[in-house]
Amino acid sequence: MNPETSLWTDLAFWAFGLAAVWYGWRVFRTDSMVRATFALLASFLNVGAIMVLLLAEYLGTALFFMMAVEMAVMAIFMVAFMMNPAGLNPMQMVHQHRFAIVAGAATFAGLAGLGFAVDFPDRPLIIAADTIQQLGFELMGSSMLVMQSIGVTLLATMIGAVVLSSKWGRYGDSDAGSVPPSLDPEQREEDRS
Amino acid sequence: MTLATLLLIAAGLIGVGVYGALSQQSFVMIMMGFELIINGVLLAGVAFWALATAGEPRGQVLVIVGLLVMAIEAAMGFALVVNVYRARGADTTEGIDSMSH
Amino acid sequence: MPLASVYANDWLAIPVLLAVVVGGVYLVSVLDELFGEVVSGSRPNLGRSLRLPVRQAALLLCQSATRTEHPDRILWPVAPAAYAALAAAGMAVIPFAEGFAVADVRTGIVVFGAAEVLTFVAVYLHGWSANAPLALIGGYRSLVQGFSFMLLSMFVLIGVALPARSLSVGQIVEAQSGLWNVVRHPLGLPLFLVVGLGAALWGPLRLPDSRELAGGTVGEVSGPQRLAWEFARRAMLVSYAVMAASAFLGGYLGPWLPGPVWLLGKSVAMLAVFVALGHLVGRVRPERFMAQAWTVLLPLSFLDILIAGVEALP
Repeated sequence: MNPETSLWTDLAFWAFGLAAVWYGWRVFRTDSMVRATFALLASFLNVGAIMVLLLAEYLGTALFFMMAVEMAVMAIFMVAFMMNPAGLNPMQMVHQHRFAIVAGAATFAGLAGLGFAVDFPDRPLIIAADTIQQLGFELMGSSMLVMQSIGVTLLATMIGAVVLSSKWGRYGDSDAGSVPPSLDPEQREEDRS
Repeated sequence: MTLATLLLIAAGLIGVGVYGALSQQSFVMIMMGFELIINGVLLAGVAFWALATAGEPRGQVLVIVGLLVMAIEAAMGFALVVNVYRARGADTTEGIDSMSH
Repeated sequence: MPLASVYANDWLAIPVLLAVVVGGVYLVSVLDELFGEVVSGSRPNLGRSLRLPVRQAALLLCQSATRTEHPDRILWPVAPAAYAALAAAGMAVIPFAEGFAVADVRTGIVVFGAAEVLTFVAVYLHGWSANAPLALIGGYRSLVQGFSFMLLSMFVLIGVALPARSLSVGQIVEAQSGLWNVVRHPLGLPLFLVVGLGAALWGPLRLPDSRELAGGTVGEVSGPQRLAWEFARRAMLVSYAVMAASAFLGGYLGPWLPGPVWLLGKSVAMLAVFVALGHLVGRVRPERFMAQAWTVLLPLSFLDILIAGVEALP
């Protein structure tokens, strides 16, 4: 069965696709931060469902998994860093709104136009292929360099994120105004006492 | 579910993401805009992989690299948001003005 | 749904799944009462333990539901329903007999992991939707608890997938026809039990609903919604017991008796272990659990996947 021939697949694709775009739009229209975060999660889950329909099942289910965790982390940060977490006050925190709408619409029109105008090659997926096994062999075989780079990059990101957000600086707690010792010897005597 | 309609949906996601990233004042909301853009890119990647390359495995690897970009952007973005808040007490873009003229 | 990516797909398995969920929830409640009586020193009364869950359910159905100020009217009742649905989704990828499953997909353990992670989101939404402070704190505890052991669960399940050379639960069960995974990877089952306790908010890891938060996420919930939440928790425990039986104890494999009977016996054994742990191990403090999870349990899961990888080398 070709990924594109069944009626059910088409209906499911349109349902998931329009839901993904609608939830994406809802992210920026709600007042409550938690609802915004989980609207984004709903958008991602719909995109993951489309990926599963296209028979990229590992990528789709891995997207479900990863996005659920990421949105949970984002929920914590949203409530910590937004002054209106419960959505009790209506708020509209935007700047350059008209420019942003024009830019968003222009991006959509340009990319959608490209999608319809360009004559892409038509080579649909071979249904009998085991895409997960192919991915595994590819990652561990000819794309091993990509795999190693991913590993090292993620390690660097982890270390960088911990260093950037750590409270304990080199000279003391950041809340206590961690500053290096002064270059002036008399000032240092004063600071020490 | 042709390639054109899939790219239409992906373009919609990227358009909404661009609107969000440009219009929001809060750092975390801008990051959500970026997440939507990468979401659209991932969908377009899988669409090309399934319908234009006959399931070339390197297409899936490219999509995994896209997932990696999303993860790194989220991690470093949150770390920077925390750091900027500690250094300047700002949680919106209007709150930091050391580089505006 | 493209059927080429599914190893076994049987519509008849759906009523079986529902029967397993409902029966399993009742069994968990009965075992809970029995173990409670044994642990507290009194003689276990089987008749009373069989009747008590039904009476408690009837009481909750007749109770009136509390109302809070401006709760999220859609998400508050949806959260327990989503929790139970995720438990059923997790169990849907597990085959009950050879070739008999709701949807034994090729990426079974990734689906199970995704259901587990979405569980924490559901618990968080349950706490947040009530618009009450202690419930919200309970919700945040579920995220904290979840992050601490979701990596554990994925590493343990990947370790189990390595000898099967497949991510599908059916293939994992088939790969144990020579030797059960509990013998091949001894660290896997204890770690998976910890994960199961946490995902079902059971016993030592019942942190989001704990007593010191005056009930936490269920503190503001009563009546039929409370019944739904308790049902969903027990359903998740059943799901983890069946997964533990399939991934580590050989699932439906076994001599003489038919496959489903073996799976039933192994799942009931795992449920008994879960319920016993719930009564015998005291609830941990969140900070202490986090420290232990990240510094002790996660390296143990690395060791487990190392053992699995070395053992799976041809």
